[in-house]
Amino acid sequence: MASLLSHLISGALIGLLYALIAMGFVVIYRAGRVFNFAQGEVVVVSAFLIWTFVQPWGLPMWLSLLLAFSASFLIGLVIERIILRPLVGEELFSLVMVTIGLLVFIRGLVLVIWGADVHFIPPAFSIKGVKLGPIMLDRGLVYGGILTILMAVLFSWFFNHTRAGMEMTAVAEDHQIALSLGLKVKRSIAAAWGISGVLCTLAAVIFVGGKGMTFVVGDIGMAALPVALLAGLESIGGLILAGLIIGVSQGLAEHFLDPMFQGGVGEVFPFAVMIVILLIRPTGLFGWKTIERI
Amino acid sequence: MTLPAGVYAQTYDEDQALIRTKPQWIWFVALIIFLFTLPLFSGGRIIGIMNVIWITLIAVVGLQINVGYAGQVNLGQSAFMGVGAYTAGALTMHFNLPIWITIPIAGVSAALFGAIFGIAAVRVKGFYLALTTIAAQYVFHFAMLKLPKAWFGQIEGLRIDPVSLFGFQFDTDVRVYYLVACVAVLMIYGAWGLIRSRTGRALVAVRDNDNAADIIGINVFYYKALSFFIGAFYAGVAGALWAYYIRYVLSDMFTLWLSVWYLGMLIVGGMGSLIGAIIGTVIIRLLQEFITYFGPLIAELGIMPDTGGAIVFASMNMLLGGVIIIFVIFEPRGLVHRWNIIKESFRIWPFPH
Repeated sequence: MASLLSHLISGALIGLLYALIAMGFVVIYRAGRVFNFAQGEVVVVSAFLIWTFVQPWGLPMWLSLLLAFSASFLIGLVIERIILRPLVGEELFSLVMVTIGLLVFIRGLVLVIWGADVHFIPPAFSIKGVKLGPIMLDRGLVYGGILTILMAVLFSWFFNHTRAGMEMTAVAEDHQIALSLGLKVKRSIAAAWGISGVLCTLAAVIFVGGKGMTFVVGDIGMAALPVALLAGLESIGGLILAGLIIGVSQGLAEHFLDPMFQGGVGEVFPFAVMIVILLIRPTGLFGWKTIERI
Repeated sequence: MTLPAGVYAQTYDEDQALIRTKPQWIWFVALIIFLFTLPLFSGGRIIGIMNVIWITLIAVVGLQINVGYAGQVNLGQSAFMGVGAYTAGALTMHFNLPIWITIPIAGVSAALFGAIFGIAAVRVKGFYLALTTIAAQYVFHFAMLKLPKAWFGQIEGLRIDPVSLFGFQFDTDVRVYYLVACVAVLMIYGAWGLIRSRTGRALVAVRDNDNAADIIGINVFYYKALSFFIGAFYAGVAGALWAYYIRYVLSDMFTLWLSVWYLGMLIVGGMGSLIGAIIGTVIIRLLQEFITYFGPLIAELGIMPDTGGAIVFASMNMLLGGVIIIFVIFEPRGLVHRWNIIKESFRIWPFPH
């Protein structure tokens, strides 16, 4: 019973972590109509940046975090300016391939700069487990879960109730119409890339803070895919629900199915859930339905 | 009386011919003779590289039909290839079937797996489809590691004895070379016919605008499913040959990154062109060989001390990522477009255009 409960709760928390990474996908997709496959690699770069600032440079933790957040914001801006700006209005395949190319390229670059060894990322907060009745939970994940919900509420409010956010929503709906209404499309897209860079650093702090990591951590970007698709690529509030669905079903799969298959079901189960739901609702649970014209 | 200039056809057959002029025939025959006598005068390493190129070529040509002609983004080609490889290996090892049965069956089984995603492509579009095909990769790995050990060997993989055809054993690189070269030439010839047929034109119509295609009477459901079916069939055949060449199959050989390499080959060569698929495959494969050869030498120089043995892997990634980004931004129509421009300027010389 305790095992089931701990699978459920830690599943839900991991689902929320996926939702945080998926939030980066969604913020970019809303603004630029681009799906950024390289999100997971930006998480890796942020984590290694924190390591570099704290370990070899010996900076205090708060300053390192500040620097890492600014650096990832800049990385987002640079990627947008150099790689995505020339491709505005290009066909879908180019946009898919360019961010996959970026993923692979950053992975190679990370290997060249930081190597393939395990790096211990210094924690931003105490890493003692949180005891909740009979179950122990990862403190990072607990904080992460709370933060994810806060961020989702914050961004939902931002995109629906502030002037800057509503401009970005208008840009998300149609670039040309937004442009003709006098909105600054380029600035909105750039801002979205910057914000998603910051979200990556946040995910890095929560996910790998206090743990050893290698470049393989970037695969979390792939693990977060089902959450983003399930929510629909335009919905931020929906991410929380999708994260919980994926996380809990992953936890249940680990509890009930793993003993039958000797492990490994948890990894593939979210994708199965995703395919089934996409076949029923092709734009996810809360994605915008567009009417296609010729 | 003056004769018309240029290449012109006088009969329907001439108009439909793949090879239209005498110089083209001469070059074509010379190329075929060169390719089939290559093992006689080249070293073992070259033949090894050529074998992998032939096999890759089949998978990439299939991907070209699926992605370049039908416009369906497919990130699961290597999973489809894996299905073919496992099927061929298991049929050979457990049932001892001859390869002229196992290779087509491997193709069909991969094609059926691929068609599932083709059916999904009818409802799921755009980025959602691209991401759905990634799921193929995860499903494939999970299935191969979890199905009964007696079938596919789970984590230990599947070992395959050398196969034979009519008493001719394919046990050395040179012998395998003839098998893969013949199958590859056949498959590429098939692709050429396919894209010029009604089916090929229907696929292009679906690519350019699926709603418009639907209105002019093309069965979009059928052709989307068919494009995945054909693409995966090519992958399955490539996988079967891979199994018979390497004689060992493991699910870790068929990763998402292999699919990305194949897409990179398409981008470098040129989308929507079979010649492009061939150019891209050959160039990227040669670049890969170049890095595998020179990577360790660079590592010895000690420019990048942290990287150590991972230098080959790191530079491969940077090559692949860099090439994809540069081509998508600066030359989205690929090298074949450049090649066509050069060819055209030769043809009309001394006029500028």
